[in-house]
Order: sequence, then C-alpha cells, then structure tokens
Amino acid sequence: MTRHVRGAIAALMAAALTLNVSPAYGYLHLSVTTASGTKALVWKTPRVRWFASDRGVPGVTASQFQAEIAQAFATWEAVPTASIAFQFVGFTSASPNDEDGLTVLGFDSQPDLERVLGATSFVLDDVTGEIVESDVFFNAIFTWSVSAAGDPTRFDLQSVAVHEIGHVLGLGHSALGETEIRPEGGRRVLASGAVMFPISLGRGAIADRTLQPDDIAGASDLYPDGGFTENTGGLLGRVLLNGRGVLGAHVEAMSVATGAIIAGFSLRESGEFQIRGLAPGAYVVRVEPLDDADIESFFSATGVDINFQAAFSPRLAVAPAGGTSERFDVTVRPK
Amino acid sequence: MKHAVGVLVVLVLVASPMSAMVLVPADFVDMVSGSQLVVYGRVIDVRSQMVGDRRTIESVVTVSVAQAIKGDPGATVSVRVPGGVVGRYRRVMVGAPSFRPGEDVVLFLSGRPPAIPMPFGLSQGVYRVARTADGRGLVAPPPLVEGRVVRGDPARAPMDVTSFVAQVKAAMERRP
Repeated sequence: MTRHVRGAIAALMAAALTLNVSPAYGYLHLSVTTASGTKALVWKTPRVRWFASDRGVPGVTASQFQAEIAQAFATWEAVPTASIAFQFVGFTSASPNDEDGLTVLGFDSQPDLERVLGATSFVLDDVTGEIVESDVFFNAIFTWSVSAAGDPTRFDLQSVAVHEIGHVLGLGHSALGETEIRPEGGRRVLASGAVMFPISLGRGAIADRTLQPDDIAGASDLYPDGGFTENTGGLLGRVLLNGRGVLGAHVEAMSVATGAIIAGFSLRESGEFQIRGLAPGAYVVRVEPLDDADIESFFSATGVDINFQAAFSPRLAVAPAGGTSERFDVTVRPK
Repeated sequence: MKHAVGVLVVLVLVASPMSAMVLVPADFVDMVSGSQLVVYGRVIDVRSQMVGDRRTIESVVTVSVAQAIKGDPGATVSVRVPGGVVGRYRRVMVGAPSFRPGEDVVLFLSGRPPAIPMPFGLSQGVYRVARTADGRGLVAPPPLVEGRVVRGDPARAPMDVTSFVAQVKAAMERRP
C-alpha cells in the first residue's frame, strides 16, 4: 500500500475512533469441501514441481517467461515465516489449461476472458480433496513486459505471476485496496494493500512484485515456519447487525505500532472472524461491506451481506504472542 | 426498505473462498457496452463437460430468461463458465463464478453466436439477486458516481431489480 493511502486509512481510523464508532478484519485461504468436510487447500508435498510452457509472446521469450516465473516463486519461498518450496522441472508444450496431472504455467490466448490478465485453476480429487494439479495461464491477448523497471505500455509479468502463485499456494483474494470511477470513464485502482488484491494496478506498475504484510501473514498461516505460530497472535470477534451475525464483512486490523494492515472476512453465519499472523500488540479494527466489488471474486457462495455502514471497534484489540485475543463484537449499522 | 434489505444477509452457512485471477477493472458503462446480452433470469440447469479434445472441464449454465435487458436471447440462454465436476475430478478456476439451479441472477454476457457466451469479465458480469421476505429481488448497486468508491456508503444500498434494470438502460443510452 502506498504511504499516501496508508496515511489516509490511518487518519480515517483515528477519526472514527474519536467518534466512538465500531470494529472489523484480512486474507482468505482457498478451501475445498468433500463428503468429509471443508478444509484448507494446501500442498502436501514438500516441494511443488512445476513446468513452464514453451510458448513465448511478443516481447517475452519462453526463457524470459521461465525466469520471471522462477523469480515470482522465489518471492514466496523467501518468506521467513513460511515453509514452501517449488521446483522447476522443465519446459512443456502442454497448455496451462490441460488436465494432465502437471502443474503448468504459461501464456494462452483467451479472447473470451477479455478482462482477465491471468488466472489459476486447480484440478482436485473430488473424493479426497487432494490437489491433482494447479495451472496458471497468462492471457496472451494482452501485451506483457519483463522489463526490470516496468513498461508503461505493457502489463508486468512478474507482478501478475506473484499474485497467481499466491493462489497456487492456497491463498484467496484480499480486499485491501480501493478504486475510483474516473471522470473520463473507466475504473482504476487507487492503491492496494496486498499483492492478492484482485484488480490490476495497470500497465507499467511493478509494485506487486513485493509482498505486503497481509500476503506474508496469509502464506505463513498456511505453511507456518520460523516461529510464526509462537511469535504472532490473532484477533477473534464477531460482526453483528441488529443482533445477528454478518456474513462476508471485510475486517481490517491496523497495527498501532507499525501501521501494517492485515485483513480478513467474517466467514460464518454467526459473523465470527479470526485474523491470525499479527505481530503482538494493539490493533485498530475496522469493518466494512464488500459493496464495491464483484463478490464472486472473493467467495463462491451467495448470501454475503453488504447492506451496512463501515464501523470501527470502539476500543483497541490486543493480539498476544502465541495466542488469540478475547472475543469481541463489532456492531455495524444498516445503510 | 432498510427492513427488507436486511434479508440480503441470508443463507450460506460457510462461505468458501475460491478465487484466483487478476482483472482489468471495468466500470458499469464498460460492462454494459461490452456485453452483447444482459438478462435477468433463473438458473435452471448446470452441466459440466470435458472440452477441447477432453482436456479441460467447463460448465454450461442454462438460464430461464425473465427479462431480456439487452439483446434478444429467447426464452433461455446458455452460459459457459470455467470449471465443474466430471467423474472424480473437479476443476476450479479461482475467481470464476459457479451456479446452482434455482438462483436468480442478472448476467452481463459477452461472446457472439454461435459461441456460447461467458459472463463479462467472469465474476464482474454476475449480479446475484437476493429475495426479501415479501419476494422482491435485490441486487448489489453498481458504483456509478465519479471519484473514490467508498465502501459502506449509505447512498449505495442494495436496489430492487427494477431500479437496477433502469441503471443498465441508462448506461446503454450513454454508450450503446
């Protein structure tokens, strides 16, 4: 997130606190539901093997593609509090959309998906819920760049790859970002606070090559290592509207000490939320509806409530090291 | 209105996140203009199939059209979405919408015949309709006002389908 936007959010949070308004919550994990229940989608193998498509596009050769993808994998591998490893196996002529048991990343022309820069698919065993393969395609109808500084006329391959590989890990989308409707028409992202925010920052932008706290917490929560569980804490609470739980509220926790923001969602009918992976300390908590986005991009389910106003927790929430806060409620008002 | 809108909260016991894509943003006028068909209707059938020489799984969703808002689809329209279940295997494209029979939706569809259309921008072109206790259909309001889109803005409460359709038609007049 840019300094400008973080400052603006901090100011908003501070203003709301003085108004004694109410609270909120971060990242999402992908999940799979089988007859035996719902569980997080995670790789069981110690090292995920991947192939690169041997297809280049104008401006990006197959070997440049492979190098950028390898760097994007390395970005996630470098998270000190997570343990996940990937191994490049080789080039393949297989399409990144083939169901062949191979995890393939590559360019593919998808004119029907005219607004989709890239997407990640999983093939799952519908009985066990285990991952059979995960493919990522980068839409060849767009122009792509591997320039170190970015190219203002093209989309940055590595940035989109870091996002998609976050999905390969098992992360869903983050809602830490905001957009505007432009006076001349069209919509654009003003800023985002996570690589996993689903909307592109635009041609030339390379900010999404770098993970943000929300991304790091999400990956670490899935593949904890390096003292992550012992050295971080969580917030536990509920979002309530007229005494009942709110499903799908976006809840943001901003560290009073550092300004880092990690967010999540209330994912149960009871309105319960839990944000893990927080540095121990005090947090300002803010709740808001996902009323500016295509909810489908975040949840596969319907029934998400968007008919309430943003609110702040009336008091700071404290995440203890190795534990979880006492449960607290955030009450929101209808629009 | 506020009371009625309360039921939007509805249904799902556990929301199961399954998204994974990077989108080029579209505003509402872009979406209306870029869609050959805009329909309000009810999902009546969902079938998964292998396509592309049996190399990938997608689903064809059949929608009974209650109102054709743009274009002339006939009594039903078929819509293609990535993913589905064939045999023991489930393909999920994270961020792509999935449907169940009985759901009411407003769909913005792109793709010209004979191709089966897809939702515009996949998830961007899908508006779910929630039912109030008295049976009215409510839809999430599209951001239309220039400037920063503020989450929780009381001015953007869920709207009934009739008002939403009027917004689509107004956008069609701005850019057919």
